Amino acid sequence: MGTATGIIKALNSGIKHLAVKRFTLRYPEQKLKFVGDGYQFDPASGVAIAGLKGRHMLFHDHCTGCQLCSIACEGVAEAIAMVKVPDKWGQNAKSIMPQIDYGKCVFCGLCVDACPFYALYMSNDYELSSFTKEGLIYTPAQLQVKPQVQQDSELIIDKRGARHG
Amino acid sequence: MAEQVIPTKKMPPGLQVENVDDRIMTLNVGPQHPGSGHMRIIVKIDGDYIVDADPDPGYVHRGEEKMAESRNYITNIPHLERPVIHDSCNILYPYVLGVEDLVGIEVPERAKYVRVIAAELNRCIYIQYWLAIYGIFLGHSTMFMWPAGDRELLIDLMEKITGARVTHAYFIPGGVRNDVPANFEDVCLRQVNYFEKRIKEYADIFYDNPILKARTEDTGVLSREDAIRLGTTGSVLRASGVDYDLRIKEPYDVYDELDVHTNVLKAGDSYARSKIPWLDMLESCNIIRQALEKMPKSGSIRTKLKPNPKGREDEVYRRVESGRGSAGCHIISRGKPEPYRLKLSVSSFRNLIALPYLLKGEKLGNMPAVYWSLNYWPVEADR
Ligand code: SF4
Ligand code: SF4
Repeated sequence: MGTATGIIKALNSGIKHLAVKRFTLRYPEQKLKFVGDGYQFDPASGVAIAGLKGRHMLFHDHCTGCQLCSIACEGVAEAIAMVKVPDKWGQNAKSIMPQIDYGKCVFCGLCVDACPFYALYMSNDYELSSFTKEGLIYTPAQLQVKPQVQQDSELIIDKRGARHG
Repeated sequence: MAEQVIPTKKMPPGLQVENVDDRIMTLNVGPQHPGSGHMRIIVKIDGDYIVDADPDPGYVHRGEEKMAESRNYITNIPHLERPVIHDSCNILYPYVLGVEDLVGIEVPERAKYVRVIAAELNRCIYIQYWLAIYGIFLGHSTMFMWPAGDRELLIDLMEKITGARVTHAYFIPGGVRNDVPANFEDVCLRQVNYFEKRIKEYADIFYDNPILKARTEDTGVLSREDAIRLGTTGSVLRASGVDYDLRIKEPYDVYDELDVHTNVLKAGDSYARSKIPWLDMLESCNIIRQALEKMPKSGSIRTKLKPNPKGREDEVYRRVESGRGSAGCHIISRGKPEPYRLKLSVSSFRNLIALPYLLKGEKLGNMPAVYWSLNYWPVEADR
């Protein structure tokens, strides 16, 4: 192939793209849709359920304060600290629950795998930025809140190419 | 002029005072990112020609191997994939295979297929990122945008499977951590087919582009003998005409049940080295399609491990074909929950050894084309 034809072919290949829809996701106006409700683990079967590994969800009525999540995280990021909670729960004699520092957490989900009481899951919330380091530390009360996440865009593939919409 | 006294004390590389030649100039390329990737290449140039090149890696050393000695076999997983976050499944693969040997557990059939799919997706994600940077190294900004955009198709798939976009922490001794979501086969097939169609379009704009060819053909030629002698692996080895792919030579998991072809080119120049990964991506698409077809539709995906598994007293070495070449993991176990010693044998470091040979006699302007064609990932080499 001659040099001229080669260059024309290359240019042509780029020009064809003018007709293709833009692929970029227009964050934050558009936000991606995820499968499921976040990463969860079923200790009975020993298998997890697929989902986004985002901010954790703590179920106060299940947590027994057994510290297994914090032990699992010790080898990973030391992001979990066990803190006292004011309310009394029957199953939680010591009244301690995990507090997670998202400045350290790497979102591996091993703490979720370690929890034997269905108390710790991960949610679809990934927008955790904060102006201060302290703002990244989520107390058990904050972890209890179910996040409201906007999810409206999906990957669409059709004749005009792939796009988010 | 009085004779200059030059101290001869042994100093670290790059710090010693050298005898200065009027003609030869020493240049430090790096270690900041653009163009070297957190690594310094000390090049000596005579006019525009490189007379000597000395790669100096180590700027992003994180002590992954040492860290592994104080963590148990499971909590090692998230940090062992840090050396190559874009190829995190493949860098973790040999470790997981090794631990399975040590602990002595079987992996369910379906998990093996899921692993192969995840590993191949990851290989493409890595290569796309590498290709994007190769494009920008050569001043071809379209080739930066396209791969960076198209890899999103596969990142989206990985996110659906593993829940994370880059560092997946998905493989675990005994299988994988979670099953693929419902309806995954269709979505995967659709996105992989479109991805394949897209990467075929790179031929016109990049690989058949006469400007790229003029830039990369016959630069940094590595002969077949030298490639073997220097111990290069993966795409660099295959670009020099050696047909060696661990997926075929030492099949792990279910690669022996799949029809895997390797791509071999004879030329051994930068162009061949940059083309092999692209051909590998096309092959990966084939492998993914085969694996999706052959995968058992249901079944277990993880053999349950004891909470703190102990390896038997032994040592294992397992290796896999990663996006760059052979990635190996040597684990010595003394019967404890932690490895006694863990060593990663990574292809980046082995391929880097070829760099001084390839750069000698090249023009300085060709340095990026040669350097990045070695499929080098600085963080992996430093570990
Ligand atoms: S996700 Fe990983 S890093 Fe984060 S708190 Fe859990 S175990 Fe620690
Ligand atoms: S979250 Fe689970 S693992 Fe952590 S303390 Fe509560 S019950 Fe134990």
